[in-house]
Amino acid sequence: MISKLIDWTLTLSIVAIMTLVGNFIGYEVMPVTALPGIITLMVIVLIGMVIHEILPFKLPSIAYIGLLAFFVTIPGVPGAEKISEWTSEVNLLSLTTPILAYAGISIGNSWVDFAKMGWKTIIVGMLVLLGTYLGSAIIAEIILRIQGIV
Amino acid sequence: MENTKTNLWTDWRLHFVVFAIVIITELIGTHEISIGPGTILLLPMLYAVIIGLLTFFTPLINKVQSSKAESLVFMSVTLLIAKFGVQAGPALPELIQAGPALIFQEFGNLATILVALPVAVFLGLKRETIGMTHSIGREANLALISEKYGISSPEGRGVVSMYIFGTIFGAIFLGLTSGLLASILPISPLSFAMATGIGSGSMTAASLGPLVAMYPEQADLITAYSGASNLLTSVTGLYMSIFIGLPLTEKYYQLVSKFKNRKIKGDSES
Repeated sequence: MISKLIDWTLTLSIVAIMTLVGNFIGYEVMPVTALPGIITLMVIVLIGMVIHEILPFKLPSIAYIGLLAFFVTIPGVPGAEKISEWTSEVNLLSLTTPILAYAGISIGNSWVDFAKMGWKTIIVGMLVLLGTYLGSAIIAEIILRIQGIV
Repeated sequence: MENTKTNLWTDWRLHFVVFAIVIITELIGTHEISIGPGTILLLPMLYAVIIGLLTFFTPLINKVQSSKAESLVFMSVTLLIAKFGVQAGPALPELIQAGPALIFQEFGNLATILVALPVAVFLGLKRETIGMTHSIGREANLALISEKYGISSPEGRGVVSMYIFGTIFGAIFLGLTSGLLASILPISPLSFAMATGIGSGSMTAASLGPLVAMYPEQADLITAYSGASNLLTSVTGLYMSIFIGLPLTEKYYQLVSKFKNRKIKGDSES
């Protein structure tokens, strides 16, 4: 358990450093300013992953991480304001760039299979993605309008 | 999604390549392309996928590193999920208010079946259609279909090809279209934010990016909604497929095929 924890921490630290640099180049936030925020996010992730290891239910670890991050920032929870303040220095888009860079490298392995795919699969595939995305957006829009939120 | 391999941090060459990609893409920065009334937003993350893929074809990256990168996507997504969470907490009152929309939009993920399935059938695809269109075909769905039909069955082939398609093309495709759709369609960015919880971390990131960049004044709420929807999908997604998506796909497939066969028969008789 401890060795896993150290391992995760080291891996997350690498991603965190890249995020800080991207956050500086792209969004002009000094790495020192964003440091408490990225460390907070790392700690939440690590606790979430430990909970995932310990609990017997079959929920993905991202569910625990998301819930934990959510609960610790609900107004009124001790420290919530500080956590929000720190993490707001970490720009969302600077977190997405390393994710998609790794994703780009990882898809290389499936490229041969992708190249073999027929045009029919590609059309249906695009419709599946578009259908999911637009379907959800339209339902959300209808309900938000009925409620008068948008 | 449970890719918690160990010793991922030791591959310095891989991290160095990614680090270089991050620096280059952030230096290029965000650019906009106007297409008629709509805008396509080119974000650093979008160049990052493409440059990342290109490095695979250079000596810098080999197959082992490429498969390690897959686990690293999961590890880096966890930080994004935490970021979602901390944006959602302060927005709790807004989330409660928007609760009905958040819950019902989950059923929007089924809309894909209604749209994509008939097209697949009319293109001449057979039972592959079921695997391809019952969901967006991520890891959990791969497991579900292979358990139910076997991975070498037509349904299994269908879900595998959707999985590969989504892996390669999903983030790029959604990254390009999400901003475009939001700028053309009379749908609020908040509704699109709820739609970004698709069931894949990189696709969520790619579809959310342009929304946050285009509507900075609503960025906090957009992220909160996206995070909440992502959380809901990660908890309910698979059950949605098991209990509603897959049975619905089966029934609908039979209906559409019957209709198609009758039409072909009718055409040949007349």
